[in-house]
Amino acid sequence: MGPLIPNGIIGGGWDFVIAILLGVAFGFILEASGFSSSRNITGVFYGYNFVVLRVFFTALIVAMVGLMYFDYFGWLDLSKIFILPTYVTPMIFGGVVMGLGFILGGFCPGTSFTAIAIGKLDALLFTIGLYIGIFIFSLGYPLIEGFYNSGNLGNVTLTDVTGIPAAWFALAFTVVALAAFWGTMIIEKRVRKNMKEYKF
Amino acid sequence: MNRNYIFLTILMIVLAVGTLMLKPAKQLKQIEPETLLKEIVQPTRYISTDEVAKRLIQGDPSLLLVDVRSEAEFEKYSLPRSLNIPTEKLMADDNLSYFGVPGTKVVFVSNDDIKADQTWVLTKRLGFNSTYVMKGGLNCWMETIIDPVEPSPDAEETEFKTYSFRKGAQMYFTGAQVDDFNDSKVEVQVRRKEKTSVASGGC
Amino acid sequence: MHIHELNPWRTLIAVVIFVVILLAGFVTMTKPLLTYHLDMNESIQQLSDENAYFYPWELDGFIKKEAQNVVLFDIRDNFIFGQGHIPGAENISANDLTQEDNVERLEKLNEMGVTVVLYGENQLQANGPWMLFRQVGFDNVKILAGGYQYYAENKENLLAAKDNNSFKKGIPRYDFAEKAAPKDGAAVSTTAKKPVQVQRRQKSTVAAGGC
Repeated sequence: MGPLIPNGIIGGGWDFVIAILLGVAFGFILEASGFSSSRNITGVFYGYNFVVLRVFFTALIVAMVGLMYFDYFGWLDLSKIFILPTYVTPMIFGGVVMGLGFILGGFCPGTSFTAIAIGKLDALLFTIGLYIGIFIFSLGYPLIEGFYNSGNLGNVTLTDVTGIPAAWFALAFTVVALAAFWGTMIIEKRVRKNMKEYKF
Repeated sequence: MNRNYIFLTILMIVLAVGTLMLKPAKQLKQIEPETLLKEIVQPTRYISTDEVAKRLIQGDPSLLLVDVRSEAEFEKYSLPRSLNIPTEKLMADDNLSYFGVPGTKVVFVSNDDIKADQTWVLTKRLGFNSTYVMKGGLNCWMETIIDPVEPSPDAEETEFKTYSFRKGAQMYFTGAQVDDFNDSKVEVQVRRKEKTSVASGGC
Repeated sequence: MHIHELNPWRTLIAVVIFVVILLAGFVTMTKPLLTYHLDMNESIQQLSDENAYFYPWELDGFIKKEAQNVVLFDIRDNFIFGQGHIPGAENISANDLTQEDNVERLEKLNEMGVTVVLYGENQLQANGPWMLFRQVGFDNVKILAGGYQYYAENKENLLAAKDNNSFKKGIPRYDFAEKAAPKDGAAVSTTAKKPVQVQRRQKSTVAAGGC
């Protein structure tokens, strides 16, 4: 059956409508999970609040395992979905930059918009900075073009690279994620014991 | 400790282990038998010897002739620029990697069309698109291109056109001398027609 | 305290929805009518299986009603079937072959050990359907060598096919190399065949989906 648009079940013109609906749903979940609070987001770096890790890992393993079942049921053809190309070093570098911005600013790009939606001034300044950053990057693109496009592995998946069936990766990720849930819960408790000034 | 978390953890582990059972060993991708039959019933895979000849003469780079006869037969005679993959060795080595290259059309050739068609069914089962069968095979190639028969004088105009094309192709492929033509109708010339879809052929 | 600890129902509802969707998937999964029984290599091997073919001389017994365990299916269109067919043959157009009742019928015939012979206008027409049915496990399905054409031309003397190979397909009718040689004997390109430059599909590229 799926993916719906490539298989022609719904017209290609619907993709923007679907994008808006998904965007609304995503923003709602971000806000409902408490991601519009900088304290929740940066808490993961100080060890007193791992809600970011838990929410994203939950989303990841549920989507991952769910998609594999969907593929099995014939609802979604996993071989037809688009896979983003992998650029090894630029992606590692980009991850580090993003993480630093995360700690400094207290938002990630998505959550800054949900925080604006609930009227936070710091989030407004964060997004202004975001657009300035985009502007600088666009102007400076010719300088970093070589690095930006380096290490292209193509549209590969872990299964393509290693030859290990996807189900084993799914299991491994699930176990790691669940272990992280329980582990972070213990860390959280210990760190919070020593904190007096912060109320949850 | 919240009991909810324990249930959720167990559920997620069970589901993740379940994914291991879903597809024990996903080997080659295959299309459904029903879909395959629908494809089989369509005659669009056949391409005429004239069309193959035209494309060979034009040097169409998107054309890949795959000869499915045995190696011995292939050694004796083969069409120009053709590649030998005997049907028996279809799955061997890396032979499958010739199919499904974007922008190329694979045309199977055999003595007649049966073996080529069988190979087509096999590749279609694996989901490869843009594979075709040369209708009539090499037997038909000999009858139409290498040794074309002159149409009777009262035949249709188009038949003479086909004949003149085939005469030209004969010369191209065998190096035969041009016969004396008194009749202007059967002037030999290899024309470059505008490209048409391969699939539109028919023996 | 997290928000979902204050409201455990929310977690429960989400989990129930997730599990219900998966259960619905298992329940609604339709068992396909046909599945492949032979893998690719077995499918290639059975092409050269002599027993997978039904020869013109065997038709003789069928028409005289001597052969009991044989059913002939004409896979041509109903219209063409009406214009002439092998006596005793049934008409199932190729388009209808995978209809459920037809497949059930074939299964029944398979259990009873009845040989099913498919034929089309020529052998080529029945070739695909025959291969398909062999591959999905009907080892009683055979193809009529030569097809209807050969039968129509040699109605009177089907047994003669035993002694000649005029019905056979897949054999060269000419000596290709000799026939394709230049007529004036000039400039035969006897040079060794050049390896063809062919583009291969790279292993790593995933089928580019809809971006």
